[in-house]
Parts: sequence; structure tokens; C-alpha cells
Amino acid sequence: MEIEVQLTGFPIAEKIFPPVVARASRPFDENQKLAGGTPAPLSHGAWLEFRGVVRGEEKGQTISALEYEAYPEMADREIRRLLQEISARHPCQAVKVIHRVGVIPVGETSIYVGVASPHRGEAIALLAEFMDRLKQDVPIWKRRARSAEHRLGANQNTVGNTPSRCSALQPCSLDEAISQIVSHCPPLPSVRAPLAEAFGRVLRETVCAPEDLPPVDRSTRDGYAIRADDAAEIISIVDTLHAADWKPRQLKSGEAVRVATGAALPCEGLRVVMQEHVERDGDKLRITKHESTLNIRKRGEDVKAGSPLVTSGARLDAGRLALLASAGCAQPLVSPRLHVVHFTTGDEIIPPDQTPKPGQIRDSNSILIRGLLQEFPCELTQSHLPEDFETAKQLISTINHQLSTINLLLVSGGASVGEKDFTRPLLEMLGFEIVFSQVNVRPGRPLIFGVNGNRIAFGLPGNPLSHFVCFRFAVATALACLAGGEPPKFLRGQLAGKLDDKPCPRETLWPARWEWNDSTPRLRLLPWASSGDITCLTAANALVRVPAHCAGLEDGAKVDFLPTTPIIGGGL
Amino acid sequence: MRVLFFAQLKDATGCDAIELALPSPPDGDGLWAALLLRFPALAAHRPNIRLARNWEYAAPDAIFAATDEIALIPPVSGG
Repeated sequence: MEIEVQLTGFPIAEKIFPPVVARASRPFDENQKLAGGTPAPLSHGAWLEFRGVVRGEEKGQTISALEYEAYPEMADREIRRLLQEISARHPCQAVKVIHRVGVIPVGETSIYVGVASPHRGEAIALLAEFMDRLKQDVPIWKRRARSAEHRLGANQNTVGNTPSRCSALQPCSLDEAISQIVSHCPPLPSVRAPLAEAFGRVLRETVCAPEDLPPVDRSTRDGYAIRADDAAEIISIVDTLHAADWKPRQLKSGEAVRVATGAALPCEGLRVVMQEHVERDGDKLRITKHESTLNIRKRGEDVKAGSPLVTSGARLDAGRLALLASAGCAQPLVSPRLHVVHFTTGDEIIPPDQTPKPGQIRDSNSILIRGLLQEFPCELTQSHLPEDFETAKQLISTINHQLSTINLLLVSGGASVGEKDFTRPLLEMLGFEIVFSQVNVRPGRPLIFGVNGNRIAFGLPGNPLSHFVCFRFAVATALACLAGGEPPKFLRGQLAGKLDDKPCPRETLWPARWEWNDSTPRLRLLPWASSGDITCLTAANALVRVPAHCAGLEDGAKVDFLPTTPIIGGGL
Repeated sequence: MRVLFFAQLKDATGCDAIELALPSPPDGDGLWAALLLRFPALAAHRPNIRLARNWEYAAPDAIFAATDEIALIPPVSGG
């Protein structure tokens, strides 16, 4: 028996063709073919179709849609298993099953089953038994629509990939580094969070309108609702409706209902005559001016039940959260809050409120990292590690249990090959496998990236400008991927002013300031003396990608850049 | 092993999937013990839940391996 199964998020077509028709040249009976007999002529005498349709009532309550969820891999297998089993008792030629998932508005098809068989008896018996068994065994669930669920987010497909590592000894290119990070950071499992805690997180399921908005026809005027086709001369007022009233009734010709602006109309197929356009005498009305407009906000005019409001993968900002609230989605399925631990290292580091002696510098990296992490919902724990490896190990052993539950470990400093540097041995001691330890980029070459199960770690070069650059292209990419959102992307812009520089064998991510010029971002490169020089960060809002061995760029040259603040507006 | 939750179980656990690491491959009771430790709210649903292993309903004596995809299947309502 031929079996076709589809689980779809889209409406099921009005007309479905029997599957065997398209294969009319093939014998339907496998046994006959194996026996070497002549192909039997196609002989299904019955094509039985069944459609399950969403009813407007569920457990006594009026609804406008149902929401279906499936465990797709298992549902597919279970449907096939059931059909095979039932067809042993009721032999048929072909079955086609289409089950829609997500939000399905009332009146639309949730399941379609088509059965082809030589005679109707087998088809009817198979269909009846299949539908009974489907409702017992196939992992599909329905409930009143609250939010649509496009299951099988990217997270469930990508977990378990173990992509190849770059050679940890050879520097990798900027592009290689980014793609390694992306492939090692599959989205973490989703959680439900209250709206007040969901800001900045990534939505993991598309949320659809659970009902038509507005849910009923509403008046846009103070006036009188009458039937749209009413031609009566004199009309009687039969009721009065205020904005919050809900009094359904069918209006007859010659009847009117007094309505306020925003009032829910008693039925559909009405129009509202503005109060300025009638003469009223007690309970009687005469219309003095006929308008062509209905003065009604129609049911579903803003949004139809089942249409997507916020799509999976969107970062939840204030506006999207407000939309979820309006749709009644109080606990959206979102990316989890990340747990981040940041260690600073180096004996030369002193707190910002102290005066550095010669050889000492103030710690700017702690606040830099804390600030850069603001846009990613996370719990951050920061501490300073002594430079002596043995002492550092002891300190870490006291918080080792904490480190086993983190998502991201950041270690500042100690990433070059100096004697006192220990980031790499530290990460290895903590069980991280080093994916790469150098990137052909300046500033930020000694960037280390390590993986330990579902935990990831970066060793950031100690200089603050390197920190800024590495965070933007590497750490931000990892955080976005773990959250299941879009990683930062390089955009196309135009250089404002020219670049005169010594050719460098590495790519440069050059701090810059971009501004709109018409619809093109124009980028002004900012001077920077070394990877310790962060004076440019007062103006920087982008990193311009300058190719390796580039001796200079002309004014107006096209360049790729990574914005370091959100870009508002289009045209990119 | 990866354990998936569906329908009302997502609300009971607050998530749609977890990674569960157990010292040895558990049977159904062992798996339930680990799950209830982590999600006590599942206890109320347990009598109605069937376990699935690698996209098929699990036999009562099934042993669950670290590489299995496990799903908790609450009463279904398709169609």
C-alpha cells in the first residue's frame, strides 16, 4: 500500500488528487509484480476523502481557533505504522494523510485523509479505524489557541553536531574563526519566561493571533447601527450599546441600535449611521444623509486568527513584547538566561578608583565586558585571578562546582605567549578542548576559543581595544547563536576619507564611526595607536574590515563593516 | 540523553527539552526517578504519560541509552 504523510504549518488545499492517478502506469499490487504477471490495470473503484474541520466550540466555549502541536518525527512514523497494521485487515491501495499543525482558525481543515481501494467497504473500514487509532496513539496535541508553535526549532536539529576543529596551533582566518564559533554554539534548550523577564531574549516559537482582531465588528462612530441593506423610511431604536457592552442579536429591517464609538455591534452585516445624519423623534429615526462608508472596524481587520504576529528567532524588544501581551502570550517560549563567568588576570591590574604606580594599569576590561554583555540577558559573575598558576588553580577549585553549570567563560589577559600567560593551560585544566588559539586579525590575534560539552570559553587578549574587537566579532556571535538568534552580520558601506596605512599581513577590524549619508552608511576611520589605545572608543560605533596586505583605500571605497550599536532604519 | 516535553508538559517543566546525564543506562523507573528529581511537577502527569524512545513508544522493559532521544508523551488529541 502506498502511504504519503505530511505535517504542515500551511492551510490544506481545497482539492487533493488521489495519489495513484499520477502513477497510473505502475501496478499497484507489489505481489503481482513480483510474480511476474502483467501489470494490473489501475482499478481503484473508491477514492474516499475525509476532512476534520475545527469547530467553533470546544468544551462548551466559543473559540476562533485551535492550536495543534506535533512531535513530527514520531507522528510520521506512528501514522505509517498504524496504516500498515490496519491495512492488513482492510487492504487498500493508497492512503494520503495531511495533518496541519500550528494555529488553525475555525472552519479550516486540521486533518485530511484520502484512501484509494478497489471497493468502498475496505476504504471506509480503514478510514474509521485509522481515525480512532490516530486519536489514541499519534503524538499530536490540540488546545485552545494561545500561540502557534512551529516546533522543531533549529536547536533540535543542530545539537549533537561535532564539527571539525581548525588546527589549534595555526592561526585561522577571521571567516574561519566566525564559522567555527557558529558551528560550536548550537541554540540552548528553550524555556518559558514571564514577559517581564523576556526582554532581549530570542523568541523560540512563532506566536500567531489566537483570534481575529478586533474579535467582533465595532463601530467607529457615535450613531445608529442598522442592517447594511436596510431601506426602511422610519426606523425604530430597539436597544442602546455602550463601549463595553456585548449584546448579540440579529437586527431586522426597520430596527436600529444606538451605539457608541468602539461598541461591539450586535451582529455582522450592519452599517452605522452617524448621529449627525439622523432626525430622532423618541424611539423613531429618519436618516437625513446617506453615506457610502459603513463606519465599522470589521472583525479580523487588524489581524486574522492564525496569522503570525512575532516569528521564531526574533529578539524580543519592547514593541514585540507588547504584541505578545496583547495576544495573551504571557509566558513565551524563549532562549534561556545565560550564566557567564568572567575572570580578569594580571598582577598589574588595579581597581579604577586607585592610582596606578609605574607598571600598573587600571582595570577597564571588567566594566567593558559588563557593559558589552548588557544587550544579552545573562547572569554575570566577575572575579580576579592571581597570576601565579598554582594559586589560581586553588581559587578556581573552590568555585569549580559553579563552573560546571555555566554557559560561557571569559578570561581576560594572559592570551599571548608570554611566560606568565596561562589562559590556555587554565582552560585545558577545566576540560575545554581548544578549537583555535590565534586569529589572523588585528587587533585581537591571540584569541582563544575552547569548547567543553555545551560550555564554551574565550581567552581574550588583555589589551582593551582587542577586548572590544574580539567581543564584537567572536563573543557576540557565540551569544547570539546560543540564544538561537541571528549572529552579527557584516554590512556594506562606503569609506568617508581615505586610508593610508602600512600593509599588514593580517586583516584589520578598524574602529570607525558610521553615519547615514542619504541611504548609504558612510564610515570614518578613527585613529588608534595600538591595541591598548581605547581613546577611539568614545566615537566608535563600527568596525571596518580592511583586507590583509592592503596599502590604502580611496575615499568612497566600498567596505564591509560590523556595526557595534544597533542600526535603525532600512536601506542596508 | 535528550528528553523532549510536549503540550502541557512544557508548562509543567518550563522547557521543551533537557539533556540528562545518568551514570548508567536506566530502565523506565530509573528514568522517571531522575526526571521527578528535577521536575517534581511531572509527578501529577506520570500516570497518563507514555515514554517514547527514538520515535516509537517504548516497551515496558526498555533500557534507555545515552544516545537515545526520549520523549514524554501525554494523552494525545490529534485529528
